[in-house]
Amino acid sequence: MIVIINYGLGNLFSVLGAVEKLGFKAKISSKIKDMEKADKLILPGVGAFSDGMKNLHELGLVEPLTKLVVENKKPILGICLGCQLMAKESDEFGHNQGLGWIDGSVIRLETENKELRVPHVGWDELLQRKKSTLFEGIPEDALFYYTHSFHIKCKNVNDILGECDYGGLFTAAFCHNNIYGTQFHPEKSQLHGLNLLRNFLEKR
Amino acid sequence: MLRKRLITVLTFNDGVLFRTKLFNPDYRYTHNFIDAWSIDEIVALDVTRPGQGDKENFYKMVKHLASKCFVPLAAGGGVRTVDDFKKLLSIGADKVIINTEAVRRPELITEAANLFGAQCVVVSIDAKKHEDGSYEVFTEFGTKPTGMKPEEWAKKAQKLGAGEIMITSIERDGFLEGYDNQLNKMVSEAVDIPVLVCGGAGKWQDFVDGFEKGKASAVCTTNIYHFTETSIKSAKSYMKNAGINVRL
Repeated sequence: MIVIINYGLGNLFSVLGAVEKLGFKAKISSKIKDMEKADKLILPGVGAFSDGMKNLHELGLVEPLTKLVVENKKPILGICLGCQLMAKESDEFGHNQGLGWIDGSVIRLETENKELRVPHVGWDELLQRKKSTLFEGIPEDALFYYTHSFHIKCKNVNDILGECDYGGLFTAAFCHNNIYGTQFHPEKSQLHGLNLLRNFLEKR
Repeated sequence: MLRKRLITVLTFNDGVLFRTKLFNPDYRYTHNFIDAWSIDEIVALDVTRPGQGDKENFYKMVKHLASKCFVPLAAGGGVRTVDDFKKLLSIGADKVIINTEAVRRPELITEAANLFGAQCVVVSIDAKKHEDGSYEVFTEFGTKPTGMKPEEWAKKAQKLGAGEIMITSIERDGFLEGYDNQLNKMVSEAVDIPVLVCGGAGKWQDFVDGFEKGKASAVCTTNIYHFTETSIKSAKSYMKNAGINVRL
Protein backbone atom coordinates (compact mmCIF):
# COMPACT_ATOMS: atom_id res chain seq x y z
CA MET A 1 0.00 0.00 0.00
CA ILE A 2 1.23 3.46 -0.96
CA VAL A 3 0.06 6.32 1.20
CA ILE A 4 -0.22 9.79 -0.29
CA ILE A 5 0.00 12.21 2.59
CA ASN A 6 -2.89 14.62 2.79
CA TYR A 7 -2.02 17.85 4.54
CA GLY A 8 -4.70 19.91 2.88
CA LEU A 9 -2.58 21.44 0.14
CA GLY A 10 -1.19 18.89 -2.26
CA ASN A 11 -2.37 17.93 -5.71
CA LEU A 12 -3.48 14.63 -4.23
CA PHE A 13 -5.78 13.51 -6.95
CA SER A 14 -3.23 13.67 -9.78
CA VAL A 15 -0.68 11.77 -7.73
CA LEU A 16 -3.27 9.14 -6.81
CA GLY A 17 -4.24 8.81 -10.48
CA ALA A 18 -0.63 8.26 -11.54
CA VAL A 19 0.09 5.70 -8.80
CA GLU A 20 -3.06 3.77 -9.64
CA LYS A 21 -2.31 3.93 -13.34
CA LEU A 22 0.98 2.17 -12.53
CA GLY A 23 -0.97 -0.63 -10.89
CA PHE A 24 -0.31 0.14 -7.23
CA LYS A 25 -2.82 0.30 -4.45
CA ALA A 26 -2.83 3.73 -2.94
CA LYS A 27 -4.63 5.69 -0.30
CA ILE A 28 -4.87 9.37 0.49
CA SER A 29 -4.58 9.86 4.24
CA SER A 30 -3.76 12.29 7.04
CA LYS A 31 -3.49 9.54 9.65
CA ILE A 32 -0.12 8.49 10.96
CA LYS A 33 -1.48 4.94 11.51
CA ASP A 34 -1.98 4.54 7.75
CA MET A 35 1.51 5.91 7.11
CA GLU A 36 3.04 3.44 9.54
CA LYS A 37 1.39 0.56 7.69
CA ALA A 38 2.34 1.86 4.24
CA ASP A 39 5.13 0.36 2.14
CA LYS A 40 5.98 3.77 0.81
CA LEU A 41 4.93 7.35 1.25
CA ILE A 42 4.48 10.23 -1.13
CA LEU A 43 4.45 13.83 0.08
CA PRO A 44 2.92 15.77 -2.81
CA GLY A 45 2.59 19.48 -3.03
CA VAL A 46 1.11 22.53 -4.55
CA GLY A 47 1.12 25.49 -2.29
CA ALA A 48 3.05 27.78 -0.05
CA PHE A 49 5.74 26.53 2.34
CA SER A 50 4.45 28.24 5.49
CA ASP A 51 0.92 26.87 5.04
CA GLY A 52 2.28 23.41 4.33
CA MET A 53 4.23 23.35 7.58
CA LYS A 54 1.37 24.91 9.51
CA ASN A 55 -1.01 22.21 8.28
CA LEU A 56 1.45 19.40 9.06
CA HIS A 57 1.80 20.79 12.58
CA GLU A 58 -1.95 21.13 13.04
CA LEU A 59 -2.43 17.53 11.94
CA GLY A 60 0.15 16.49 14.53
CA LEU A 61 2.21 14.85 11.78
CA VAL A 62 5.58 16.55 12.08
CA GLU A 63 7.02 14.50 14.94
CA PRO A 64 5.62 11.03 14.20
CA LEU A 65 6.31 11.38 10.47
CA THR A 66 9.88 12.47 11.17
CA LYS A 67 10.34 9.41 13.37
CA LEU A 68 8.88 7.16 10.68
CA VAL A 69 11.05 8.58 7.92
CA VAL A 70 14.31 9.42 9.68
CA GLU A 71 14.49 6.64 12.30
CA ASN A 72 12.45 3.84 10.74
CA LYS A 73 13.66 4.71 7.25
CA LYS A 74 10.30 4.42 5.52
CA PRO A 75 10.88 5.27 1.82
CA ILE A 76 9.31 8.58 0.90
CA LEU A 77 9.14 10.73 -2.21
CA GLY A 78 8.49 14.44 -1.93
CA ILE A 79 7.18 16.21 -5.00
CA CYS A 80 7.54 19.97 -5.63
CA LEU A 81 6.42 21.67 -2.39
CA GLY A 82 6.60 18.23 -0.77
CA CYS A 83 10.32 18.01 -1.50
CA GLN A 84 10.86 21.57 -0.32
CA LEU A 85 9.17 20.87 3.02
CA MET A 86 11.85 18.24 3.67
CA ALA A 87 14.49 20.96 3.94
CA LYS A 88 15.52 22.62 7.18
CA GLU A 89 14.17 26.05 6.34
CA SER A 90 12.63 28.28 3.72
CA ASP A 91 12.60 31.94 2.81
CA GLU A 92 9.20 31.87 1.06
CA PHE A 93 6.99 34.60 2.60
CA GLY A 94 9.27 35.11 5.60
CA HIS A 95 11.52 32.65 7.36
CA ASN A 96 10.04 29.24 8.14
CA GLN A 97 11.29 25.99 9.64
CA GLY A 98 10.86 22.87 7.52
CA LEU A 99 10.81 19.19 8.40
CA GLY A 100 14.60 19.21 8.48
CA TRP A 101 15.18 15.79 6.92
CA ILE A 102 17.48 17.20 4.24
CA ASP A 103 20.34 19.49 5.04
CA GLY A 104 19.51 22.50 2.96
CA SER A 105 17.26 25.48 2.57
CA VAL A 106 14.58 26.59 0.16
CA ILE A 107 15.40 29.74 -1.75
CA ARG A 108 13.87 31.82 -4.49
CA LEU A 109 14.74 31.01 -8.08
CA GLU A 110 16.98 33.84 -9.23
CA THR A 111 17.86 34.34 -12.86
CA GLU A 112 20.11 37.03 -14.23
CA ASN A 113 18.68 36.60 -17.69
CA LYS A 114 15.62 38.82 -18.21
CA GLU A 115 14.35 36.41 -20.85
CA LEU A 116 13.91 33.73 -18.20
CA ARG A 117 10.66 34.30 -16.40
CA VAL A 118 9.81 33.25 -12.87
CA PRO A 119 7.90 31.06 -12.02
CA HIS A 120 9.79 28.49 -14.05
CA VAL A 121 6.89 26.81 -15.81
CA GLY A 122 7.05 24.09 -18.40
CA TRP A 123 9.02 21.16 -19.72
CA ASP A 124 12.71 21.21 -18.99
CA GLU A 125 15.68 18.89 -18.63
CA LEU A 126 16.78 16.76 -15.71
CA LEU A 127 20.56 16.62 -15.76
CA GLN A 128 21.36 13.29 -14.13
CA ARG A 129 24.33 13.77 -11.82
CA LYS A 130 24.35 10.39 -10.09
CA LYS A 131 23.30 6.87 -10.83
CA SER A 132 20.05 6.16 -9.07
CA THR A 133 17.31 3.55 -9.15
CA LEU A 134 15.02 6.51 -9.71
CA PHE A 135 16.60 7.10 -13.13
CA GLU A 136 16.60 3.53 -14.43
CA GLY A 137 15.40 3.52 -18.02
CA ILE A 138 15.09 7.31 -18.08
CA PRO A 139 16.98 8.77 -21.06
CA GLU A 140 19.47 11.56 -20.38
CA ASP A 141 17.47 13.97 -22.52
CA ALA A 142 14.07 13.21 -20.96
CA LEU A 143 11.98 16.29 -20.19
CA PHE A 144 9.95 16.83 -17.05
CA TYR A 145 7.31 19.33 -16.04
CA TYR A 146 8.33 22.05 -13.60
CA THR A 147 6.23 24.78 -12.06
CA HIS A 148 7.83 26.67 -9.19
CA SER A 149 9.36 29.93 -7.99
CA PHE A 150 11.45 28.35 -5.21
CA HIS A 151 13.83 25.42 -5.03
CA ILE A 152 15.82 23.46 -2.50
CA LYS A 153 19.53 24.14 -2.15
CA CYS A 154 21.20 21.02 -0.76
CA LYS A 155 24.14 21.61 1.55
CA ASN A 156 25.41 18.10 1.02
CA VAL A 157 26.43 17.78 -2.66
CA ASN A 158 26.20 14.00 -2.32
CA ASP A 159 22.45 14.29 -1.88
CA ILE A 160 22.00 15.80 -5.34
CA LEU A 161 20.76 13.30 -7.92
CA GLY A 162 19.86 15.68 -10.69
CA GLU A 163 19.91 19.35 -11.61
CA CYS A 164 18.17 21.69 -13.96
CA ASP A 165 19.66 24.76 -15.60
CA TYR A 166 17.43 27.82 -15.53
CA GLY A 167 19.71 30.84 -15.49
CA GLY A 168 21.89 28.77 -13.17
CA LEU A 169 21.81 25.21 -11.85
CA PHE A 170 19.37 24.18 -9.15
CA THR A 171 18.62 20.83 -7.52
CA ALA A 172 15.89 19.06 -9.45
CA ALA A 173 16.11 15.69 -7.68
CA PHE A 174 17.77 14.53 -4.50
CA CYS A 175 18.16 11.43 -2.37
CA HIS A 176 19.33 11.04 1.19
CA ASN A 177 19.10 7.39 2.29
CA ASN A 178 15.38 6.56 2.03
CA ILE A 179 14.31 10.13 1.35
CA TYR A 180 13.74 11.20 -2.25
CA GLY A 181 12.58 14.48 -3.67
CA THR A 182 11.85 15.93 -7.09
CA GLN A 183 11.23 19.59 -7.84
CA PHE A 184 9.47 18.61 -11.08
CA HIS A 185 6.16 16.74 -11.18
CA PRO A 186 6.67 13.11 -12.25
CA GLU A 187 2.89 12.62 -12.10
CA LYS A 188 2.53 15.33 -14.74
CA SER A 189 5.43 14.38 -16.97
CA GLN A 190 3.81 11.71 -19.10
CA LEU A 191 5.83 8.58 -19.90
CA HIS A 192 9.18 9.47 -18.32
CA GLY A 193 7.48 10.86 -15.26
CA LEU A 194 5.44 7.72 -14.78
CA ASN A 195 8.56 5.59 -15.28
CA LEU A 196 10.43 7.55 -12.64
CA LEU A 197 7.51 7.17 -10.28
CA ARG A 198 7.39 3.44 -11.00
CA ASN A 199 11.10 3.18 -10.20
CA PHE A 200 10.46 4.67 -6.78
CA LEU A 201 7.42 2.50 -6.12
CA GLU A 202 8.88 -0.74 -7.45
CA LYS A 203 12.59 -0.71 -7.01
CA ARG A 204 13.39 1.44 -4.10
CA MET B 1 16.49 24.72 -21.71
CA LEU B 2 12.85 25.42 -21.02
CA ARG B 3 10.67 24.40 -23.95
CA LYS B 4 8.01 26.58 -25.52
CA ARG B 5 4.60 25.14 -24.70
CA LEU B 6 1.63 24.19 -26.83
CA ILE B 7 -1.56 24.20 -24.77
CA THR B 8 -4.96 22.79 -25.66
CA VAL B 9 -7.87 24.76 -24.26
CA LEU B 10 -11.04 22.73 -23.74
CA THR B 11 -14.22 24.71 -23.17
CA PHE B 12 -17.12 23.05 -21.38
CA ASN B 13 -20.75 24.06 -21.27
CA ASP B 14 -22.46 22.37 -18.33
CA GLY B 15 -19.90 19.59 -18.40
CA VAL B 16 -20.06 18.97 -22.14
CA LEU B 17 -17.17 19.82 -24.38
CA PHE B 18 -18.21 22.88 -26.30
CA ARG B 19 -16.64 21.83 -29.56
CA THR B 20 -18.21 18.96 -31.35
CA LYS B 21 -17.26 16.38 -33.88
CA LEU B 22 -19.79 16.22 -36.72
CA PHE B 23 -22.09 18.20 -34.41
CA ASN B 24 -22.10 15.50 -31.76
CA PRO B 25 -20.60 16.51 -28.43
CA ASP B 26 -18.10 13.75 -27.81
CA TYR B 27 -16.09 14.59 -24.76
CA ARG B 28 -14.75 11.05 -24.21
CA TYR B 29 -12.96 11.46 -27.49
CA THR B 30 -10.96 14.28 -25.98
CA HIS B 31 -9.71 12.89 -22.76
CA ASN B 32 -8.89 9.51 -24.13
CA PHE B 33 -6.61 10.82 -26.77
CA ILE B 34 -4.88 13.72 -25.14
CA ASP B 35 -2.39 11.90 -23.00
CA ALA B 36 -1.10 9.77 -25.85
CA TRP B 37 -0.03 12.85 -27.72
CA SER B 38 2.69 15.28 -27.07
CA ILE B 39 0.44 18.07 -25.84
CA ASP B 40 2.28 20.01 -23.14
CA GLU B 41 -0.59 21.17 -21.00
CA ILE B 42 -4.38 21.27 -20.85
CA VAL B 43 -6.64 24.14 -19.90
CA ALA B 44 -10.23 23.27 -18.98
CA LEU B 45 -12.60 26.21 -18.94
CA ASP B 46 -16.17 26.20 -17.73
CA VAL B 47 -18.01 28.61 -20.01
CA THR B 48 -21.46 27.81 -18.67
CA ARG B 49 -23.42 31.03 -18.33
CA PRO B 50 -24.64 31.77 -14.80
CA GLY B 51 -27.77 29.78 -13.94
CA GLN B 52 -27.48 27.66 -17.10
CA GLY B 53 -26.05 24.52 -15.59
CA ASP B 54 -24.78 22.53 -12.65
CA LYS B 55 -21.21 23.25 -11.56
CA GLU B 56 -20.85 19.62 -10.52
CA ASN B 57 -20.89 18.61 -14.19
CA PHE B 58 -17.77 20.66 -14.82
CA TYR B 59 -16.08 19.29 -11.70
CA LYS B 60 -16.77 15.77 -12.95
CA MET B 61 -15.01 16.59 -16.20
CA VAL B 62 -11.99 18.08 -14.44
CA LYS B 63 -11.74 15.01 -12.26
CA HIS B 64 -11.96 12.77 -15.26
CA LEU B 65 -9.34 14.70 -17.20
CA ALA B 66 -7.02 14.66 -14.20
CA SER B 67 -7.27 10.91 -13.81
CA LYS B 68 -6.57 10.23 -17.49
CA CYS B 69 -4.05 12.85 -18.51
CA PHE B 70 -0.62 12.90 -16.96
CA VAL B 71 0.16 16.42 -18.07
CA PRO B 72 -0.48 19.67 -16.22
CA LEU B 73 -4.07 20.73 -15.99
CA ALA B 74 -5.29 24.27 -15.42
CA ALA B 75 -8.97 24.82 -14.72
CA GLY B 76 -11.17 27.86 -14.45
CA GLY B 77 -14.38 29.60 -15.33
CA GLY B 78 -16.59 31.17 -12.69
CA VAL B 79 -13.93 31.01 -9.96
CA ARG B 80 -14.88 33.50 -7.25
CA THR B 81 -13.29 32.46 -3.98
CA VAL B 82 -10.35 30.70 -2.39
CA ASP B 83 -12.75 27.81 -1.74
CA ASP B 84 -13.31 27.50 -5.50
CA PHE B 85 -9.52 27.20 -5.85
CA LYS B 86 -9.48 24.52 -3.17
CA LYS B 87 -12.24 22.57 -4.88
CA LEU B 88 -10.52 22.57 -8.28
CA LEU B 89 -7.14 21.67 -6.80
CA SER B 90 -8.66 18.88 -4.75
CA ILE B 91 -10.06 17.20 -7.86
CA GLY B 92 -6.83 17.28 -9.84
CA ALA B 93 -6.25 20.74 -11.26
CA ASP B 94 -2.69 21.99 -10.90
CA LYS B 95 -3.49 25.62 -11.55
CA VAL B 96 -6.57 27.76 -11.40
CA ILE B 97 -7.55 30.42 -13.90
CA ILE B 98 -9.35 33.56 -12.78
CA ASN B 99 -10.69 36.39 -14.88
CA THR B 100 -13.77 38.45 -13.98
CA GLU B 101 -13.44 38.05 -10.22
CA ALA B 102 -9.78 39.11 -10.32
CA VAL B 103 -10.90 42.42 -11.83
CA ARG B 104 -13.76 42.81 -9.38
CA ARG B 105 -11.72 41.85 -6.34
CA PRO B 106 -7.97 41.90 -7.09
CA GLU B 107 -7.17 40.75 -3.52
CA LEU B 108 -8.25 37.27 -4.60
CA ILE B 109 -4.98 36.98 -6.55
CA THR B 110 -2.95 37.66 -3.42
CA GLU B 111 -5.07 35.45 -1.18
CA ALA B 112 -4.72 32.52 -3.57
CA ALA B 113 -1.01 33.07 -4.19
CA ASN B 114 -0.31 33.14 -0.47
CA LEU B 115 -2.22 29.92 0.06
CA PHE B 116 -1.35 27.89 -3.01
CA GLY B 117 1.78 29.54 -4.37
CA ALA B 118 2.06 31.97 -7.28
CA GLN B 119 2.56 29.14 -9.79
CA CYS B 120 -1.03 28.10 -9.11
CA VAL B 121 -2.65 31.40 -10.04
CA VAL B 122 -3.24 32.14 -13.72
CA VAL B 123 -4.85 35.50 -14.42
CA SER B 124 -6.77 35.42 -17.68
CA ILE B 125 -7.29 38.70 -19.48
CA ASP B 126 -9.77 39.18 -22.32
CA ALA B 127 -8.97 42.22 -24.43
CA LYS B 128 -10.81 44.02 -27.19
CA LYS B 129 -9.25 46.31 -29.76
CA HIS B 130 -11.03 49.59 -30.29
CA GLU B 131 -11.29 51.35 -33.63
CA ASP B 132 -8.63 53.85 -32.63
CA GLY B 133 -6.21 50.93 -32.11
CA SER B 134 -6.24 51.01 -28.31
CA TYR B 135 -6.99 47.94 -26.22
CA GLU B 136 -9.33 47.51 -23.29
CA VAL B 137 -9.89 44.70 -20.80
CA PHE B 138 -13.38 43.19 -20.82
CA THR B 139 -14.88 40.85 -18.24
CA GLU B 140 -17.99 38.68 -17.91
CA PHE B 141 -17.48 36.67 -21.09
CA GLY B 142 -16.15 39.67 -22.92
CA THR B 143 -19.26 41.78 -22.39
CA LYS B 144 -18.28 44.29 -19.72
CA PRO B 145 -15.75 47.04 -20.38
CA THR B 146 -13.44 47.82 -17.48
CA GLY B 147 -11.58 50.91 -18.66
CA MET B 148 -8.28 49.12 -17.98
CA LYS B 149 -5.43 48.64 -20.39
CA PRO B 150 -4.42 44.97 -20.73
CA GLU B 151 -0.70 45.56 -20.21
CA GLU B 152 -1.35 47.62 -17.08
CA TRP B 153 -3.74 45.08 -15.65
CA ALA B 154 -1.20 42.30 -16.38
CA LYS B 155 1.48 44.25 -14.55
CA LYS B 156 -0.78 44.81 -11.58
CA ALA B 157 -1.82 41.14 -11.52
CA GLN B 158 1.84 40.12 -11.42
CA LYS B 159 2.45 42.49 -8.54
CA LEU B 160 -0.48 41.01 -6.65
CA GLY B 161 0.97 37.52 -6.99
CA ALA B 162 -0.15 36.00 -10.30
CA GLY B 163 2.10 33.24 -11.62
CA GLU B 164 1.05 33.38 -15.24
CA ILE B 165 -0.97 35.62 -17.53
CA MET B 166 -3.30 34.25 -20.18
CA ILE B 167 -4.17 36.85 -22.79
CA THR B 168 -7.06 36.37 -25.19
CA SER B 169 -8.01 38.59 -28.06
CA ILE B 170 -11.79 38.74 -28.07
CA GLU B 171 -12.23 39.54 -31.74
CA ARG B 172 -9.69 36.99 -32.94
CA ASP B 173 -11.33 34.15 -31.01
CA GLY B 174 -12.59 31.46 -33.32
CA PHE B 175 -11.55 33.16 -36.54
CA LEU B 176 -8.47 31.03 -37.22
CA GLU B 177 -6.68 34.03 -38.70
CA GLY B 178 -3.78 34.19 -36.30
CA TYR B 179 -3.13 35.73 -32.89
CA ASP B 180 -3.15 39.45 -32.18
CA ASN B 181 0.58 39.60 -31.67
CA GLN B 182 0.65 43.33 -31.15
CA LEU B 183 -1.49 42.76 -28.06
CA ASN B 184 0.48 39.68 -27.02
CA LYS B 185 3.84 41.41 -27.31
CA MET B 186 2.64 44.43 -25.38
CA VAL B 187 1.41 42.28 -22.49
CA SER B 188 4.40 39.95 -22.56
CA GLU B 189 6.86 42.82 -22.39
CA ALA B 190 5.00 44.41 -19.50
CA VAL B 191 5.55 41.43 -17.15
CA ASP B 192 8.28 39.03 -16.00
CA ILE B 193 6.00 36.02 -15.53
CA PRO B 194 5.09 33.54 -18.31
CA VAL B 195 2.43 34.67 -20.78
CA LEU B 196 0.01 32.31 -22.52
CA VAL B 197 -1.53 33.62 -25.72
CA CYS B 198 -4.98 32.69 -26.95
CA GLY B 199 -7.47 33.41 -29.64
CA GLY B 200 -7.10 33.00 -33.35
CA ALA B 201 -4.64 30.23 -34.15
CA GLY B 202 -5.67 28.46 -37.33
CA LYS B 203 -2.45 27.10 -38.77
CA TRP B 204 0.93 25.96 -37.51
CA GLN B 205 2.66 29.18 -38.58
CA ASP B 206 0.36 31.07 -36.20
CA PHE B 207 2.00 29.23 -33.29
CA VAL B 208 5.45 30.22 -34.56
CA ASP B 209 4.32 33.84 -34.87
CA GLY B 210 2.86 33.72 -31.35
CA PHE B 211 6.31 32.92 -29.99
CA GLU B 212 8.38 35.11 -32.29
CA LYS B 213 6.16 38.14 -32.80
CA GLY B 214 3.94 37.81 -29.74
CA LYS B 215 6.79 36.90 -27.34
CA ALA B 216 4.62 34.14 -25.84
CA SER B 217 5.79 31.55 -23.32
CA ALA B 218 3.02 29.27 -24.48
CA VAL B 219 0.54 29.24 -27.35
CA CYS B 220 -3.03 28.06 -26.85
CA THR B 221 -5.61 26.69 -29.18
CA THR B 222 -9.24 25.88 -28.60
CA ASN B 223 -9.90 24.34 -31.95
CA ILE B 224 -9.56 20.77 -30.90
CA TYR B 225 -11.18 19.36 -33.98
CA HIS B 226 -7.93 20.19 -35.71
CA PHE B 227 -6.31 17.65 -33.54
CA THR B 228 -6.33 14.21 -34.91
CA GLU B 229 -3.78 11.59 -33.95
CA THR B 230 -0.89 13.23 -35.78
CA SER B 231 -1.66 16.92 -35.60
CA ILE B 232 0.11 17.90 -32.36
CA LYS B 233 3.21 16.12 -33.58
CA SER B 234 3.05 17.78 -36.95
CA ALA B 235 2.44 21.19 -35.33
CA LYS B 236 5.49 20.67 -33.18
CA SER B 237 7.66 19.44 -36.06
CA TYR B 238 6.66 22.54 -37.96
CA MET B 239 7.62 24.76 -35.01
CA LYS B 240 10.91 22.90 -34.54
CA ASN B 241 11.79 23.46 -38.19
CA ALA B 242 10.98 27.13 -37.73
CA GLY B 243 13.55 27.27 -34.92
CA ILE B 244 11.20 27.15 -31.92
CA ASN B 245 12.47 25.04 -29.03
CA VAL B 246 9.58 22.66 -28.39
CA ARG B 247 9.19 19.26 -26.76
CA LEU B 248 8.67 16.67 -29.48
